Amino acid sequence: MIRRPIPRWLAIALGVGGVVLLLTAYSILSARQTRKNENQRVIPGWQTFKEGAARLVRPQGSAEDPQPSMLATDLKATYWRLFLGFFTGVALSIVMGIAMGAYRFIEALLAPVMSFLAKIPPTAMLPIYFVLVGTDQKMFTAMVALGVFFNMAQSIYQAIAGEVKTVSIDKAYTLGASDPEIIYEVIWKQILPSVLDNLRLQIGPAMIFLLAAEMLVGGEGMGFRIRMESRVLNMSVVYIYLTILGLTGLMADYGLLWLRRWLCPWCVR
Amino acid sequence: MYELEINHVSHRYGDYRVLNDINLQILPGQIVAMVGPSGCGKSTLLQAILGTHPPTEGEIRADGVLINKPSRNVGIVYQQYSLYDFLTAEENVAFGLKLDETSLPSRIFSYRSYAKKRQVHLRKAREFLEKVGLSSAMGRYPAELSGGMRQRVAIAQAFILKPKIVLLDEPFGALDETTRQELQMMLLKFYQENLKAKQRGERPEYTIIIVTHELNEALYVADRVIGLSRYHTQSEKGAMIVYDRPCPVFSPDDPRDFSKLVEQREELRKAVFDESYIKDHNKYVSFWSELAQDSQLAATAAANQPAPRRIR
Ligand SMILES: Nc1ncnc2c1ncn2[C@@H]1O[C@H](COP(=O)(O)OP(=O)(O)OP(=O)(O)O)[C@@H](O)[C@H]1O
Ligand SMILES: [Mg+2]
Repeated sequence: MIRRPIPRWLAIALGVGGVVLLLTAYSILSARQTRKNENQRVIPGWQTFKEGAARLVRPQGSAEDPQPSMLATDLKATYWRLFLGFFTGVALSIVMGIAMGAYRFIEALLAPVMSFLAKIPPTAMLPIYFVLVGTDQKMFTAMVALGVFFNMAQSIYQAIAGEVKTVSIDKAYTLGASDPEIIYEVIWKQILPSVLDNLRLQIGPAMIFLLAAEMLVGGEGMGFRIRMESRVLNMSVVYIYLTILGLTGLMADYGLLWLRRWLCPWCVR
Repeated sequence: MYELEINHVSHRYGDYRVLNDINLQILPGQIVAMVGPSGCGKSTLLQAILGTHPPTEGEIRADGVLINKPSRNVGIVYQQYSLYDFLTAEENVAFGLKLDETSLPSRIFSYRSYAKKRQVHLRKAREFLEKVGLSSAMGRYPAELSGGMRQRVAIAQAFILKPKIVLLDEPFGALDETTRQELQMMLLKFYQENLKAKQRGERPEYTIIIVTHELNEALYVADRVIGLSRYHTQSEKGAMIVYDRPCPVFSPDDPRDFSKLVEQREELRKAVFDESYIKDHNKYVSFWSELAQDSQLAATAAANQPAPRRIR
């Protein structure tokens, strides 16, 4: 029957089963491919993964001048760029979204421009970033920040228009609120769940923009490594990186869900 | 001094004239019911008093202060959306105290003294919620409250700041009959507190304008009824006050006996709601002359007899 509830233990067992199924399917595929061609590296076996992983975590450089491992370098570069870009973009979009949602003249001035700019695919704007900000850290930050900014600012602005009733604002004035108080105590508190939901939605696009940029330029980072290793068919490394990216997204997702439950106990959707 | 004074207020939306030359004075401690046909401009008048939509002509003063923007002098309870979803019942009630008595910087930079004040605010809020009969639901969010509970919280939220006047725009319109009666009783209790305050020689705390489409409700909870309507000789200029009379005062313990209201209810229906009955708009506007007569009567009665039943 459609939507009939299932017991909790069954749900957990099925969840684990799904993962097992995925791994088994991969093993079978890999084994079949290896039988066809002993030296195949497209669907590598678990042994190859082990070798690839070992290579990834081996410290680089010489004995006199030890360097961090490839994995550490890449993770550090990518996460730092992601964090910096995401943080900048989100912070700016919150300011901009609230300004547009709160003040009619800012809304009238910026809403049309913003909705236009939000429609341009940020990856298509990459060349502009190359020209304007170069190809260093600033470029990655700008890429992620602007990619997130337009969409996020629009969602926040729309959340305010939809969720904050004018009567709530009038009401706050009758309770003695000042303008900053209305922005923080009424508007911000009311839209916080939407902001967190939108953050969750933006993690995926942010990773897309960053990985795309890293694949094009830069000498480190997960996108760069994935491209380099796939060129020489080191697919084990590529798959490991893809798994890490998937887990990163998953963790961010759950982290934000938890944050939402903690910060907004009133809003259970 | 009047708690509220409306002087020659007119309002139009574009070319459409809604209100025409409204004049109204309200004394401290009065509970005034406002009735009128749908679309006659009751909400428009309330918005003007609230200050969110100032009238196109005329002026409104609360305790002598000109109203041109919403402020803590005038409180409001809407039919819905009066509460903040993200605050519990007690936080909703304490919200006004917080906004009124502390500022955003002080809440951030002197957190300790704010935390102390916060405890006081929440205690006051709980006390008020007990008064409106909501001791059980203080920690719950609005989404977890019934419609009747929400309106109680909204009323507590508006009154705890002791504004000059509180406007209720069809506050019980979405409630079932039993809940509605409970909330009407609550208003009557406020009125009793007003009377006690007056006996002590203090200024009564609860001055209310309540808009309702239930005539019985209007006559039951209020001590004065005003009717707003376009059905008068200058209809094209907009709605005016066509009815303004005292009405019987109930105490919460009195039986809900509406039979003594029948006569006035019919009078109201004819004067305010009957489209075919066009009259001079001043015909039923007699509150102040009746009040003067009444106090004369009271004075003579006090000389000869025990105190009269109707206290105002
Ligand atoms: N913002 C507006 N712009 C134009 N016309 C309006 C606006 N608000 C109200 N009106 C019109 O003004 C008139 C009075 O509206 P108002 O809401 O004050 O009536 P009301 O007495 O509160 O009615 P109800 O009993 O249905 O609540 C109505 O005819 C309405 O269509
Ligand atoms: Mg109305």
